[in-house]
Amino acid sequence: MSGRRSRVAGACVTAVLCALLSARASVQLQAQAALPRLPDGHPDLQGLWMKSAGGFQGLFIGSLDGTNFAAGGGRGGRAGRGPAAPEYPYTPEAAAERADRLKRGYEDPEARCHLPGVPRALDQPGGLYPVQIIQDEKSVALLHEAMHDVRIIPTDNSAHPRNYWAWDGDSRGRWDGDTLVVDVSNFNGRTWLDMQANFVDQNEHVVERFTLVDRDTIQYDATITDPTVFIRPVEMRFTLRRVPADQQILEYSCLEGERSLQHYTDEDGGRKRRAR
Amino acid sequence: MRLVFAVAVAAVLASAVAAQSPAAGRSFTPARLWDGKTPDFRGIWQVKDTAYVNIEGHPAEQGVAAAKSIVVDPPDGRIPYKPEALAMRQENYRARATADPSIKCYQAGVPRATYLATPLQVLQSPGNFAIVYQENHAFRVFHPDTRPHFDNTDWWMGDTRYRWEGDTLVADVVAQTDGAWLDQAGNFHSTDVHIVERYRMTGADALEYEARIEDPVVYTRPWTLRTVLYRVKQAGARIIEDECLEDANGVRHHISPNDPRNRLTSDYARWSRPAGR
Repeated sequence: MSGRRSRVAGACVTAVLCALLSARASVQLQAQAALPRLPDGHPDLQGLWMKSAGGFQGLFIGSLDGTNFAAGGGRGGRAGRGPAAPEYPYTPEAAAERADRLKRGYEDPEARCHLPGVPRALDQPGGLYPVQIIQDEKSVALLHEAMHDVRIIPTDNSAHPRNYWAWDGDSRGRWDGDTLVVDVSNFNGRTWLDMQANFVDQNEHVVERFTLVDRDTIQYDATITDPTVFIRPVEMRFTLRRVPADQQILEYSCLEGERSLQHYTDEDGGRKRRAR
Repeated sequence: MRLVFAVAVAAVLASAVAAQSPAAGRSFTPARLWDGKTPDFRGIWQVKDTAYVNIEGHPAEQGVAAAKSIVVDPPDGRIPYKPEALAMRQENYRARATADPSIKCYQAGVPRATYLATPLQVLQSPGNFAIVYQENHAFRVFHPDTRPHFDNTDWWMGDTRYRWEGDTLVADVVAQTDGAWLDQAGNFHSTDVHIVERYRMTGADALEYEARIEDPVVYTRPWTLRTVLYRVKQAGARIIEDECLEDANGVRHHISPNDPRNRLTSDYARWSRPAGR
């Protein structure tokens, strides 16, 4: 009797589980089927997107000695919002170089209005700068509000050029099922990954994956390798959320709108004496 | 008598058409995007003229041939400046070697970005239209004119609203800074400038560009410039990264390029290692 009951109960549980699982699977399938798509069948990534929490670059203010005023002045780069900065797996030489650069945080190339590189172009402090995506059958273009940075990514899986080096490197994309995979190489090696002097050199290589999870969410994954800086690949993941349709991308003027030059140190061309 | 009248009417009509646009007689139907409706302006485009030197025309100089004005209205090719504004332009002209905002790596503004010596790329899909300018990686996202301007700001590339009039894209641009020039010769506008742009394909590889520029602070009347962008057809042509601040001295390089103190003591060249090590 008890055995029969448990068998019945077991069957019931299994049935419920199966029903739940199949319902979930069908919801997933429905979400996949409901993804907006271009006529070529690939997911339509177009729209205005904003990085939500996640990524390596949280809000960080005041990086001269690692003090983060956004987090109440605590040391160590703990962001006031978002996750702590990761421990990058530096080689010993690169760790020393990073420590050296950290003392001169004001030399952050992005603070000088240089292009941020990849993945920093997308990994801006959460909620600050959106990215507009325009897509056709030949390319996916990322128009970043931050630094008015532009990446026009051909999706033909073409090869990187030779003898071309750039702040944002060279991006070549292909579709892997419903995921846009972008291979980024040819970096000039001068970019930092964040305001805390984490850096890469010209051997940086990034593989990015853009996956439209549902109509309003893109999951972004990046794997950064750099054999002369890191002892193993660095993984990054965050989501981009669709910005409501009543909002638009605005203009970012870095140098053009610079109002903070007086805060630069004297050595750096500003009026304020370098703090010791 | 009747014949004379008919000829006169024809002449009036012809001159009216000519006044509208010299290309009005030609008609070209551009290809469509995949919605089957929107004219397809996608591609990399660049002017062949040298209006970026001076839109009012200029004599030949080293490496640049002489050119006529691209100002089509007024007919004399002159920008109808108010007297004090003209004096300002002359002052700009004399100081152009150092005063041109472009030297400082500022975004070029509208319409100057269109007729630079570097290409632009039109990005398009049904409902989306944007132009990426190679110079200083500036871009403009064109928004449909169903919503009002984002105004009361001063942007380098302005705020753009557009609509289609047949196969012509008509864009309305406001909210521009007075810090930009119209060319290397110091021609300028104020923050009150209002520009109506018209983009129209006159052939498979020719994109006509017209800008009507109105600014009661600077000009006595609205005026119009017109030029043609040609498709860049070289195989593999792309907009390449143009980082104006490319110098290791970074920002100070163009804040005060002549100041000997403006040199960074640390460059990361010392970190450079041979690839693959």
